[in-house]
Amino acid sequence: MEKLTYRDTRNYAPIDVTKGMDLLTREIVMADAEAPEGYEPIPKCKLCTNFTGTDTFMGTCEASMNEPKFIAYPDMVATTCEMYQAM
Amino acid sequence: MAKTLKSVLADAGIPMDFESGGQAPETLTDREITREPHPRVQKLKDIFMESLSSASNEFPYWYTREYMLHDSEVPVIRRAKALKSAFSHSTPVIFPGELLTMRKAPYVRGSFPMPWLSEGFYMAKEDEFYQEALKRGSASVDEHSKFGQGGGNVPQSFGKVISIAGKFGIRQEEVPALLKLAKLWFGKSVDDLGNKYEQMVPGYETKEKIMRNIVCMFDSGFTLPQGREVINYYYPLEYGFDGIIKIAKEMKAKVAGRADGDGMVGMNRLYNYEAVIHVIEGVQNWILNYAKEAARLEALETCARQKKEYREMAERLEWIAHNPPRTFIEAFQMIETVHIAALNEDAISGLAPGRIGQVLYPYFEQDIAAGRITEDEVIELLELDRVYKTSIDCFASVGVVGGVLSGNTFNTVSIGGLDKNGRSAVNRLEYLILEAGATNAMPQSTLALLYDEKLPEDFLMLAMEVIKTGAGYPAFMNTPIAQEFLVNQYGHEGMDSEEARAWAIGGCLETSPCTWKPLHLNGREYWIPGGAGQPTSVGVHFVSMPKVLELTLFNGIDQNTGEKVYEPHNRSLDTYEALEEQFKKYWKETVGVLTLTNNIQHDIWRKNNMAIFSSLLKPDCLDNGHLINELGYRYNATFNVESTGTITFVNSMAALKKMVYEDRELNLEEMKTALKENFGFRDAHEINSFSLADQEKRDDSDNRWDKLHFKALQSPKYGNDDHYADSILLEWENFFCPDCKNYESLYGHTMYPCQISVSTHGAMGSATIASPDGRLSGTTFADASLSAYPGTDKNGPFALLNSATVWDHSMSQNCQLNIKVHPSAINGHEGAKKLLDLTRAYMRKGGFHIQYNIVDSKVLKAAQEHPENYRDLMVRVAGFTQYWVEIGKGVQDELIARTEYEGV
Ligand code: SF4
Repeated sequence: MEKLTYRDTRNYAPIDVTKGMDLLTREIVMADAEAPEGYEPIPKCKLCTNFTGTDTFMGTCEASMNEPKFIAYPDMVATTCEMYQAM
Repeated sequence: MAKTLKSVLADAGIPMDFESGGQAPETLTDREITREPHPRVQKLKDIFMESLSSASNEFPYWYTREYMLHDSEVPVIRRAKALKSAFSHSTPVIFPGELLTMRKAPYVRGSFPMPWLSEGFYMAKEDEFYQEALKRGSASVDEHSKFGQGGGNVPQSFGKVISIAGKFGIRQEEVPALLKLAKLWFGKSVDDLGNKYEQMVPGYETKEKIMRNIVCMFDSGFTLPQGREVINYYYPLEYGFDGIIKIAKEMKAKVAGRADGDGMVGMNRLYNYEAVIHVIEGVQNWILNYAKEAARLEALETCARQKKEYREMAERLEWIAHNPPRTFIEAFQMIETVHIAALNEDAISGLAPGRIGQVLYPYFEQDIAAGRITEDEVIELLELDRVYKTSIDCFASVGVVGGVLSGNTFNTVSIGGLDKNGRSAVNRLEYLILEAGATNAMPQSTLALLYDEKLPEDFLMLAMEVIKTGAGYPAFMNTPIAQEFLVNQYGHEGMDSEEARAWAIGGCLETSPCTWKPLHLNGREYWIPGGAGQPTSVGVHFVSMPKVLELTLFNGIDQNTGEKVYEPHNRSLDTYEALEEQFKKYWKETVGVLTLTNNIQHDIWRKNNMAIFSSLLKPDCLDNGHLINELGYRYNATFNVESTGTITFVNSMAALKKMVYEDRELNLEEMKTALKENFGFRDAHEINSFSLADQEKRDDSDNRWDKLHFKALQSPKYGNDDHYADSILLEWENFFCPDCKNYESLYGHTMYPCQISVSTHGAMGSATIASPDGRLSGTTFADASLSAYPGTDKNGPFALLNSATVWDHSMSQNCQLNIKVHPSAINGHEGAKKLLDLTRAYMRKGGFHIQYNIVDSKVLKAAQEHPENYRDLMVRVAGFTQYWVEIGKGVQDELIARTEYEGV
C-alpha cells in the first residue's frame, strides 16, 4: 500500500501550509512527512471517481452541472463534497 | 562611513533628542506588568505563534463554480447561491483544547482570495493581469509597501509553498487552480468592471496618475468594500437562524409582486428575502459540518475530558445552527460564528465586534447567578477569543494589507460608554474583558474604551494597569465628542442623542453609528447596542498631504517619477496665501475625481457583490426588505475622505511660512532646490532606514544645504503649544472638515473626514521627497493624525495635548494621538494615576483619541536587530496594536524614533 503524507490523512489538522497536528499523538508534524501506517486517507478529488485529468495539478469534475464541466484540482479536500465517490 | 543626520547635528551642537521629561535608564526596561493566560489558551496561542498566514482555494473554488452556473439569475440570487455553496463546502478544522471554534479557512491563520473583487494583484509580476493592475496604479503602491519579514508572514516562496501577495503562503498543488479561477473572473470582477466604467469619469487620467504616484494609497470599491464598521449580532441572538429564515419566509409572502409605493426597488424585496434564506442555509451547513467534525473527533478521542469537550462542542454547534443561544458559551460561539461568516462574505478589514461586554451580559449575568459558569471560566473564554481574533487574516494586495493595514484586521471591542438612558454602561463582564486583555495580551481584539466622566474610577484604573502591560490598549475615545459628531452627521437619517449613546468604534478608530435592540432571555429584556450603519472608511482612501504639497510646489510634477500628475498651475506662489490656495485647489481636484471613480467601483460592487449576510444582521434590512445596496441600513451617510501626513504637512507649511514668506531667509526656488537635492542626503531606500536620524550624507555632499536644513528642522513645530504651528493645523481642519461635505457618495449623502493614518505614513513617506520641515526623502511621515513628528515635541506631554486640541474634534469622524512613554515613567499605582490624569486632561480639553506605547525605545532597537527574540513584542501604531515583527520597517523606524516621555 502506498504511504500517505500527513496532509493526505484525516488524523491531521492543518496549522498552516507547512505543518499541522497529528490528532492522535498531539505532535506537531510536517505536512509532507510520512504518516504512520493505518492513518485514514482524507477524501480528495484525486480519490474521487468523478475526477478526470492527467495534469499533475489540474483536472475536471465530471459531476459538475456546468457546461463545459468545471475544473477540479486533485489536491482539494472533499470531505464536504456531497458528490464525492471513493475510487 | 557616511555621516548620519544625528551625528551631523551633534557636531553642530544641536542634539537630536528623542527623550523628553528626563532620561531613560541605561539598561533595557521591560514593562512593569506581565501576565499569563490559562494553560489551554497558552497551548493554542503557542500554535498561533508558530503558524504562517496560509491561503486556501476552497472557498473561491466553490463560489466560482456555483456562480458560473447561474448566469441568467437575478444578481442577488446568483450571489446568494454562490455564497451558500462556498459556505457549505468549507472544510472544518478543530484543534484539541478549543472551546470555541469556526475559522475562515482550513488553517489557523487561513484566508482566501476573492477574485470576484479583484484578481490582477496576486498574479505573477510578468502576467498581463498584474501589468494591467500596475498601469492602473492599483499595484504601484505595492512597491512602497513592506511587510515585516517575521512572524507569520510568508514574504518569499520556499519548498512546496508559494508566496502570494507578499504575505500569504499557498501550497504549490493549489496554484494552477488559483490562477485558473482568477482568470475566469477577468473582465467580470469589481476591479475590472469598475475600471471599465470609471474611465468614463472626466479626469480619469488624473486619477490613474494620482494612484500611480501614490498621492492616494488605494482604491475603495474592490479592495476592502466592507468593514471598519460595527457588526450587529442581535438577530441571530434573539431569533436564531431558523427564526431569521421564518421571518424571511413570512416577509416574502407579504412583498411578493408588490411595489408598495416604491417603483424603483420595491419589487426587489422578494429576491432579497430569498437570497437571505439561501445564505443562511449555507451558514447553517457550515456550522453543521463543524458539528460533524467535532463528533468525529469525539469518536477518535481517548482522553475522557477531551472527548467530553468535543461532544459538548458538537451539541452546541448543532443547537446554534438552528436556535437562539441559551447560555454564555452558546452566545459566545454564536457571535464568533456570525463574525467569521460576515468576514467570509467579502474582503473585510475592521469588522468590529463592538460592545460585546454589553451584548453578552444577559447570558453572563444569568449563568453566573445560576452557577452555570464561573468568572474564571469566562476569562478563559475571553482569552480564547483573543487567539481567534488575532488569527483572522484578510487576503488583499501588499499595498493594502502591508502598506495600509500592517496585516492587522482591526476586530476592535469597545468597552464603557453610556447605556440607553445615559448612565455608565460598564458592567462586571467588561472588567473581565480588560483582565483577559492583560492575561492574554495579543493584538486582537484591540480594546477601545469609550470614555465618559460617568465611568467608574476603578474601571479606569484597571484600564491603566492593562495599558502598562504594553499591549497598546485600551485606547481612549471620547464619548461626548463622538455623540456630537454622530448627531451632526446622521441627524437627517434619524440619529438622536439616545441612539448616539449606542455608538462604538468600527475598525480601529472609526466612530460608527449604532442602535439599541431589545434582547429577551428567560423572560427578561435587555437593551443591547449593535451596529446600524454601512461601512465607514470607504470612499476616498488616504490622500497624502505632503505629496499634494510636493506637487503644489513643483507645478503638478511628481519629483520621484517625473510624471505630470496635475495640470501645471503656473503660479509663482509668491505669497503664503497663494501657496495655501493652490494646495487646496489640488486637494479638491484629487478628492473630487477620487469620489467619482470610487463611487463607480462601489456601485459595481453593489450590483453584483452586495452584502447579503452582513445586511441581514444590520437594522433595518430584515424589516424593510432592502440590503445594503438599496439603503436597507438605518445609517448610510458613512463615506469619507481620508488624509495622511497631517503633521508633516503642518510642520512643512510652518517652515515655509517662517523661512520663505516671513523671514525671507531664502526664496521658494532655493527651498525647492534643497528639497530636490534632499538637503545633501542619500535617499532613505539606499540605506534601508526610514527614520530621520539615521539618514546619511551623500558622499559628494559639500554641506551646502546644512544651514538651511538645520533651520528647517528648527522652524516652528506642532506639538509644543506654539500657536505659530498650531494655527496652521487649525486653519487646515477648518477647511478640510467642512470641505468633505462638498462630495457626495453613491448613496446620495455628503461625506466626512477620517483622520487616521493606519500604516500609510510609512508607505506614503517612502514615495515622497524631502519636505520643507526638514524631513528627508523616503522617510516616514509623522504617525497618525495628531502624533508629533519624532523628536519635535519638546515641551512635555501637556503642551502636546494643547496643540492637538486647538481645533474642534467633533467636526471629524476621528483623529489620533499616540504617545510613547518609558515604562519607568509610570511605575506603580502613582504612575498609573498620573497616566489617567493625563488621559482625562486630554478628554476634558475635547481630545477624541489618545493611546500610549509603554515601551523602552532600546527594546525596540534590540527587537529590530534580533526579531527572533521578540516574536511576541506588541506595539501601538496609529490606531491598532500589532506584533513588532509583522510590521514594515518604515513604520518600525518611526516608532523607534518617536519622542519617548520619561515622565508624565
Ligand atoms: S465530485 Fe467533488 S470530490 Fe469528486 S471531483 Fe468533483 S468536486 Fe472533487
